[in-house]
Amino acid sequence: MTAPAPRTIARCLSFGDPRHLEAHQFLVDEAALLDTQDYDTWMSLMTADVRYLMPVRVSTARGAGFDTAPGMAHFDEDHYSLSRRVARFATEHAWTEDPPSRLRHHVGNVRTFPVDGTDDEVIVESAVLLFRSRGDVREPSLISAGREDLLRRDPTGAAPSAGHWMLARRTVSVDESVLRTQNLAIFL
Amino acid sequence: MRDQGAVLEDVRQGMIPAHIYNDDEIFALEKERVFGRSWMFLAHESEIPHAGDYVVRRVVDDSFIVSRDESGAVRAMFNMCLHRGMQVCRAEMGNASHFRCPYHGWSYKNDGRLVGLPFHAEAYGGEEGFRRKGQTLLPAPSLDTYNGLIFVSLDPAAPPLREYLGDFAFYLDFYTRQSPEGIELVGPQRWRVKANWKIGAENFAGDSYHTPHTHSSVVEIGLFREPKASKRKEGALYWAGRGGGTTYKLPPGTLDERLRYVGYPDEMIARMRATWSDAHLAMVGDDGFMVSAASAFPNLSLVHNWPKVEDAGDGASDEVVPFISLRQWQPVSADETEVLSWFAVDRNAPQRFKELSYKAYLMCFGSTGMFEQDDVENWVSITSTAAGSMARRLRLNSRMGLLADDKPVSPPLAHFSGPGVAYVGFGEYNQRAMLRAWADALEAPPPEVGTVDLGGTP
Repeated sequence: MTAPAPRTIARCLSFGDPRHLEAHQFLVDEAALLDTQDYDTWMSLMTADVRYLMPVRVSTARGAGFDTAPGMAHFDEDHYSLSRRVARFATEHAWTEDPPSRLRHHVGNVRTFPVDGTDDEVIVESAVLLFRSRGDVREPSLISAGREDLLRRDPTGAAPSAGHWMLARRTVSVDESVLRTQNLAIFL
Repeated sequence: MRDQGAVLEDVRQGMIPAHIYNDDEIFALEKERVFGRSWMFLAHESEIPHAGDYVVRRVVDDSFIVSRDESGAVRAMFNMCLHRGMQVCRAEMGNASHFRCPYHGWSYKNDGRLVGLPFHAEAYGGEEGFRRKGQTLLPAPSLDTYNGLIFVSLDPAAPPLREYLGDFAFYLDFYTRQSPEGIELVGPQRWRVKANWKIGAENFAGDSYHTPHTHSSVVEIGLFREPKASKRKEGALYWAGRGGGTTYKLPPGTLDERLRYVGYPDEMIARMRATWSDAHLAMVGDDGFMVSAASAFPNLSLVHNWPKVEDAGDGASDEVVPFISLRQWQPVSADETEVLSWFAVDRNAPQRFKELSYKAYLMCFGSTGMFEQDDVENWVSITSTAAGSMARRLRLNSRMGLLADDKPVSPPLAHFSGPGVAYVGFGEYNQRAMLRAWADALEAPPPEVGTVDLGGTP
């Protein structure tokens, strides 16, 4: 695993840097895939060793030194478990998303950081606000989260994204301790 | 308030007035008569292993600090300052020797004792004006544990927990006592669903009938080594004491072979053999039944299943890993429930087993679980539809397994090694038993509760 780069303001890539532009485009393109639930294409952007993690946030005293539930997450996925989730949505019996939710992933606050010793990896921070509406009776739900991604360039050049970037690691830091949505049959 | 006698009578007949799943008057009664006196699960001792560890949990509207004090004793204290009522602990977990109220600075030791009262002499005239000695945060009226599971009851006259659970305790052992040291409980994931709390509790108690349909997608994607949804009807449904559950019928074999089939490694099987009673071992080894979902009245549920958690490549591998989840359907209102879903694993299990079992849990249950996702879609829809006046005219048929003369479609199992009554095949025996317990609770007058006087009350 790549050593974490210090993410100071000084190390943040300029918004005109080609790596930042490609990383930003990756996230916006990905948001469109998630909004339309085009999970086949989304999975083609995952590296074989992808780790997709969304810890459970907890309220702790300032100074406690932790704000996630020890040993527990909402998502703690590898390629296999993500592939099973996506395959389930492709069956005719995934009732929770049939009819599908209306989804809008709003992505912002994108900052890109270089990874020492390589031009083929970057760390990207972003904020995501997911609006999810189901049916005509229920209140819509909102999920707000920060994300920290490790993007890696596909050496085969097969990944369909601009610059052939793929997602190798994502940590989703959700902003609620108690989620106000019926389930996480969606991705952030 | 309406007279609910007719509603309870219908429920006892297995005809469920649909509005009970979204009715403010019923919910007000439930708060007083179900949650106001039942034994309610709060936490497991493994969540607060060290002196000073605490978690904050609720019984409906009441917040309790569940702490381990300096002597190692487990406490459950009402999280409200004795002075002006501020919450003295606003974190949900941590480690603290004291809790200090942010309002006026009253402070309490982690066993609840009031130890700090600013300007005690100047403001109150010392002990004469306000007797600080002996004052504590209000303890939960009753506290008891079983296999390290910490329960409280708001009824000071509650029967002992073991007596309340009755023979359901036998079945709790399958989930929470696979070795003498019992489980570690990890979590919970918490999320709110716009569903009535009873629907989940009933579902886990006995709804094996929904599995083949609601959960067909998880079978289609190859998460199990066999099309087990269709085998659901071969399992036994049992009701014992204050709870009931569903089981799967395992393929023929010895006890060890059957436990291996579920995915338990030999060292865990050896500990189960050494820990469980003969009746436990016979239910698995002789009868061939393995526990699946279960509920204890009113709102604690458990589930045990064994999916594939790793890519077999060519799909040839039959490796499965069992997991256990414990969950609570914490009511928020008539139409909203906070789900608290934990992962449980035997404390002595090998580390690799714990890791894979956790993965199995995340794939199947909890906020992201592929079973749970489709369950909740159903429950939310039922709840919103139950709000209207048409739902007051509809009595839902919950009589599966009963003929018109109340005789069972097929008789109870003559030979079943566990306690209670068991049936094989589909039937809503347990959902009816759950709602009978609910009707009995609603009918009984609320427990008498006194008030607590503090300090120098005249």
